[in-house]
Amino acid sequence: MATLDLESVSRRFGGLKAVDNVDFSLNEGEIVGIIGPNGAGKTTLINLISGITPVSSGTIAFEGEDITDMGPHGRAQLGIGRTYQLIHPVEHLTVEENVMVGFVFAQGMNMKQAREASKQLCAAMGIEKPGRIVSQLNILEVKKMEIAHALSTGPKILFLDEIMAGLNADETHQVIALVQKIASERSLGVGVVEHVMGVIKKLTHRVIVLESGAIIASGEYEDVVKNPQVLEAYLGGGAH
Amino acid sequence: MKKKYIFWVIIALAAVTIPLFSGPYQMSVLRTVLTYAALAVSWDMLIRSGQLSFGIAGFFGLGTYISAMCSIYLNMPGIPAIIIGGIITCLIAMALGTIILRLRGMYFAITTLALGEIFRIIIRNGGEFTGGPEGLIIKKLVFDGGTIPTYYLALGILLVAVGASIYFQKSRFHLALTTIRNNERVAMTSGINIYKTLIIVFGITAGIQALAGASFAQMYGFVTPESSFSGDYTLLPLAMSLLGGMYGTWGPVVGAFLLGILSEYLKLYIPYGHLIIYGIIIVFVILVMPQGILGLLKKKFRKEAV
Repeated sequence: MATLDLESVSRRFGGLKAVDNVDFSLNEGEIVGIIGPNGAGKTTLINLISGITPVSSGTIAFEGEDITDMGPHGRAQLGIGRTYQLIHPVEHLTVEENVMVGFVFAQGMNMKQAREASKQLCAAMGIEKPGRIVSQLNILEVKKMEIAHALSTGPKILFLDEIMAGLNADETHQVIALVQKIASERSLGVGVVEHVMGVIKKLTHRVIVLESGAIIASGEYEDVVKNPQVLEAYLGGGAH
Repeated sequence: MKKKYIFWVIIALAAVTIPLFSGPYQMSVLRTVLTYAALAVSWDMLIRSGQLSFGIAGFFGLGTYISAMCSIYLNMPGIPAIIIGGIITCLIAMALGTIILRLRGMYFAITTLALGEIFRIIIRNGGEFTGGPEGLIIKKLVFDGGTIPTYYLALGILLVAVGASIYFQKSRFHLALTTIRNNERVAMTSGINIYKTLIIVFGITAGIQALAGASFAQMYGFVTPESSFSGDYTLLPLAMSLLGGMYGTWGPVVGAFLLGILSEYLKLYIPYGHLIIYGIIIVFVILVMPQGILGLLKKKFRKEAV
């Protein structure tokens, strides 16, 4: 039994099948890449798993428990964490307070415990001066804070939705190292949505490829990128 | 730190001793200002979640009637009647919140406005029980209508509102409401039960508005559908909060004092024209200083400190 199990999960928006009959599993300590062209259904898949969007059909189980009908806050409390493609840090809170939110509401800490835990997590993530307001952070610090915010919910599995977007090569390497460190220290199962193939190659143990909402290939990175269906999805009909 | 402490001691002393230096007219104005300040603070507590309520007059009016009925039909003394008015309105708001807090933005705002009207129409058509269009008269006023004790009563209601607001700012509610206002999806996936949080906050703020209404009814001794559910109780606290500065405790209080005292002055020179001035102030604040007076001062002091 995997930590997270999706069975025949679909999501339709009117006539559009955004996620089509997807079977997917994620185990603790495993880093899985979720790739595919724009509009393939990667973010929708994360929305279904985190409970932001309800499924049209299929079941989602977490540690053997059916969570298909559970709300997003309940899933966060169970141990499903995520970041967002478009980051929404709370501008009116300090970095420390932004990171406290998950400790308080997903892990049930009181404010004092959460403040202490937030300080420790910020330090571990390399975020200095957590008393600053968000507008004073640089892009790398904002990305680190986004990951710290997701970690504050105490996840067993974590989905990172294009967390490297907007970072330069050096910053990307720093975040890759950080994610690897976090995943191994906490035995986290991590799902990584990413367009930069170098990141997927370095970071992940296996990859699934989505196109038009359906999984068209899965396996190790080297095998998947040679798959004719994947090449066609990315490069068009004349690719092979 | 010491300066701050001295400032608050002076404010507290002024609040407690002001009846010694003021006549009945000034006390009456202050009582009204304190009541509006409590309404403005309670309105602000909900807007911190991003939910705009136009239902202040509705819950204020409900508080006036429940407390009046407790006094008239159950012979309840003033203070318990005020408390019961607050508690019952809080429960009614929470029950209604289970339905209307599924709405957002203008849909929620308009529904809260409609609620006030629904309450008013029901009470107006409630026959002898609610007094109909003529309303009800409370024969025994709280503290026999004494100017000084009723001033302290209004001050007490404001302190309840300020205490609740400060608790909201220091507790987990601060994190929850600010995160909800920023982005509901992020709030949900951070473990925040948005629906439950909003129902609690809606209930508490409506309860405070009803306490203010109930004390008003017990001070003046009468309630009518038109006076108890007057649109002023929605419009003025909103303008006061905007003027003083939203998303905090002291902005609405400062706004209430400025606008409350200004409106008394304006009433002498342009009767009813003061409403035009309110409108101008609201438009001016939104366009020129959306952070309000307190926000501007904070910004100025921060710059000087740097």
